[in-house]
Amino acid sequence: MNDIAIVGGGAGGLILASKLAKEMGDELRNGRISITIFDGSQNHEFQPGYLGVAFRGSRPSRMQRSLTQLIYPGVKLVHENCSVIDIENRYVITEKSVNRYNFDTIVVATGCLTDPGQIPGLSEANHDFHTNASKSAELYERMSRVKSGKIVVGIAGLPYKCPPSPNEGAFMADEFFAKRKMREKVEITFVTPYLRAYPAEPISEVITPMYEDRNIDIVTGFNLDYVDPQKKEILSLEGDSLEYDELILVPPHRTVDVVKKSDFVDKYGWVITDKRDMHIKDYDYAFSIGDNTNIPISKAGVEAHLQAITVASNIIEDYKGGTDKYLFTGRMQCSMETGYHQATFVVGTYERPVEKKFPSTINYVEKKFMERIYWSSLKGGYEWLFRMHFGDDYIQKISQIKPPRQISRPETQK
Amino acid sequence: MTTLKVDSRGTSCPGPITDLIRAYRESSNGDVIELLATDPGVKADTKAWCERTKNELLNITEENDVYKVEIRIVSKRTR
Repeated sequence: MNDIAIVGGGAGGLILASKLAKEMGDELRNGRISITIFDGSQNHEFQPGYLGVAFRGSRPSRMQRSLTQLIYPGVKLVHENCSVIDIENRYVITEKSVNRYNFDTIVVATGCLTDPGQIPGLSEANHDFHTNASKSAELYERMSRVKSGKIVVGIAGLPYKCPPSPNEGAFMADEFFAKRKMREKVEITFVTPYLRAYPAEPISEVITPMYEDRNIDIVTGFNLDYVDPQKKEILSLEGDSLEYDELILVPPHRTVDVVKKSDFVDKYGWVITDKRDMHIKDYDYAFSIGDNTNIPISKAGVEAHLQAITVASNIIEDYKGGTDKYLFTGRMQCSMETGYHQATFVVGTYERPVEKKFPSTINYVEKKFMERIYWSSLKGGYEWLFRMHFGDDYIQKISQIKPPRQISRPETQK
Repeated sequence: MTTLKVDSRGTSCPGPITDLIRAYRESSNGDVIELLATDPGVKADTKAWCERTKNELLNITEENDVYKVEIRIVSKRTR
């Protein structure tokens, strides 16, 4: 028996469970393995859809599905969050139970959360499109009431989910007010602690002229210290200040409590993860995927997806006694919507720096297509398409030479 | 006065500058941030970062393809 525990039913956890269940169907039916997802959420949300909710008024319900609908047949769902993850002793405990759930293999895929409380005044003053679909809808309501004033969009702190999203916020705010024919009545300013509009230079070179064309100011090197909601002012660590009427900053993110308090995280609370095979610390039976890892890469869905494929492939290979090893290539493909039905992608790998890619309608269509197939992809649908699209970046296979079989031969007579 | 050691070896842009910004948030005036990185872009980026944030770039050295950047934090506003 091999009990596989997956803590977290986000994109990474679901895709991983689906691949395991699909490819180990016989073992699952025969009871030789079990796959259990632990997650207390009622709904799974399509997070890239928050942008449309916040700036185009898409219905939040369009971004949600019941988690139970997304579980691949044969996979068990314990509909509770874990309160203890003990990798050393191979068990988890859920919040409402005193029972231990033992495992042989564990994958930690709990994602991360917005944490505006890290910055004084931010919770009170800010409205973001990262926390959930409902908060994003609140932002749309606020935006709809704006008649004029200063809109400050950008990055409140590091790290945060989806690196292009602050830029998307600025471009979508521009589109929002331009469509209402009141663009000249609002000033839009983009603030970032980085030294350019986008951290990776090739993309920054693409989008900086767009900021100029759309009359969006950029303030770089702005390390937000605190927000003064009474004065409607943000202040940097160096003492610079900026006034706002509406504040739309991406809050810094953190891991969930059960992970943060564990003994397998770095000093900031992120899971210490091997960036290639995704194992946790020195444990060869524990893995981490998606936004809760400490690996130096974007926190975004594509990465969680490809990491899930990597880990699932290694679990299957190990179980079946194979000797091949699969590694995550570091492939990222973060879409950046630039407004007016155009988008670019931030594409790169561990070995290949980010490419310079200009916005286009085709990219926008590709992004929208991804939204259409998202729910199916969580159950392993369209995996052939992802494999084809990402090519060599999909997964790296290291073939290891099997030791030669010992063939006994009759001794020859001398 | 503390030396904050930040190891960004093996990360490429914006890894080192991201790690520097995170360490900066924890630092106080007078502290030194010692950043190790293998991405050559760290030289230009940290120089520009010090100019922008008005902190003091003490030294950049290179040995065996590892850059060591030392920055003294001097610009933090006291509340």
